[in-house]
Amino acid sequence: MRFIVKHLNILRSIINTINTSFEIREIVESAGNNLPSLFEFSALGVLWKEESTLYLYQEETCPPSFTQEVARNMVKVFSVLGEEPNDLARVTLQVEKRKLRPSHMAMDPKATLKSYLVLPLAVEEEIIGCVSLNSDQPNAFDAQDLQFFSVIGYQMAATLKHFQRFSSVKTMAIYDTLTTLYNRRYMEERLIVEAQKSFYSGSSLSLVMIDIDHFKKVNDTFGHTEGDKVLREIASLLKTSVRKKDTVARYGGEEFILILPEAGLEETTMIAERIRRLVESKLFEVGKAHINITVSLGISNFPNHHPKSKEDLVKMADRALYDAKRGGRNRVCLFCPVQR
Amino acid sequence: MRSMAKETKGGKWTSDLVLDLYANLLSEVWEVVSALIGEAILELLFNLAIRKMGEKYSFLKSLKVSEEGISMGGMMDDCRNLAPAELHRGFQSLINHLLNLFSALTEGVISREVFPKVFPKVREAERLVSQK
Repeated sequence: MRFIVKHLNILRSIINTINTSFEIREIVESAGNNLPSLFEFSALGVLWKEESTLYLYQEETCPPSFTQEVARNMVKVFSVLGEEPNDLARVTLQVEKRKLRPSHMAMDPKATLKSYLVLPLAVEEEIIGCVSLNSDQPNAFDAQDLQFFSVIGYQMAATLKHFQRFSSVKTMAIYDTLTTLYNRRYMEERLIVEAQKSFYSGSSLSLVMIDIDHFKKVNDTFGHTEGDKVLREIASLLKTSVRKKDTVARYGGEEFILILPEAGLEETTMIAERIRRLVESKLFEVGKAHINITVSLGISNFPNHHPKSKEDLVKMADRALYDAKRGGRNRVCLFCPVQR
Repeated sequence: MRSMAKETKGGKWTSDLVLDLYANLLSEVWEVVSALIGEAILELLFNLAIRKMGEKYSFLKSLKVSEEGISMGGMMDDCRNLAPAELHRGFQSLINHLLNLFSALTEGVISREVFPKVFPKVREAERLVSQK
């Protein structure tokens, strides 16, 4: 009786941590941390169909061949359930290694998969993935283990389903539907974080504000559908012109904004100039015509332009953009304090 | 078609007996396995197996599965006209497919609990349909 109560308490604790997780990695991590109190296992796997990703939380001495065997087996079982992906090559593997057993019980480098439990993660008859417990020991799991594990599986499925629903809401909240760039709201949140980081540490932070020249003419001449097409093409060009850590957002209408953390004036100017040249040299297909389009860009930078706040940084980039427009368009301008 | 079903000494059609036997067997499987993996997952596995085996034995499609368990529904009436051997083959393939699914998922853990219940009943069904 005491044994069961102890196990139920552990189970409650695992369910609670799964419930309060914010992302799948956290679920795998928290389940993986607690499961050794319930089962002896070598690897815990969670295959999430939506992301085609297999998260493995495994004993640190797990040999790579064992990892591969577990992954192969999970994909195989998943396909037995009639689900894709049925090919391991199409699954991204995310492996976390932890000490799950005492050093004297380290895994044999030639260890193979001897026993496993795999359960579908299902909600309302929809299979959203599967979860597995794997061991290099034969007959490692019994009926009681399966009972406990199925309860954990249920909770995981419910939480993952919640994530799926939340993720579509989150997508709507942070992305601009037309261009799939970040929207202004997200940009402002991101800027708060980046500005705080820079103002606190003194590291450089640049903003580039971009406006499509004479965009109204495109809309008036070719219609809004063609105008939208131009916006999408420029958005995709912007996305591919920046670094991984940069944020590209649609600021509104035909205006875009780039947040470039740790970018000095020189690097920012180089990026902005590259974008200007790329747009200038591209032929945009609108309706049956091919036209040239240009953009104007304004740059502000911390610490060079001494902004006191993130709002200052935005105003400075906007002012520089105004200068670029006034100077004849199709150009990059830096914020110039003298003209204020 | 009705002539294909045989009547036993007690007056009950053999097809009815086969259906009764498998209805009991499926209920038992449900009871044992749902205690191990829960009703929702089991419902899903049963539906998978019915969909798959229903391609060959269409009468299986009238099996109704929910989190409450399995119901033969109108199957009893519909299938009374089927040959007992055909019923036996259909149900047997359904059970085999379920056992395969259980094995693929948990190796021997579920099968160890289910086999002792399944085998005697399948043998009993075989005996029924082979009665001259």
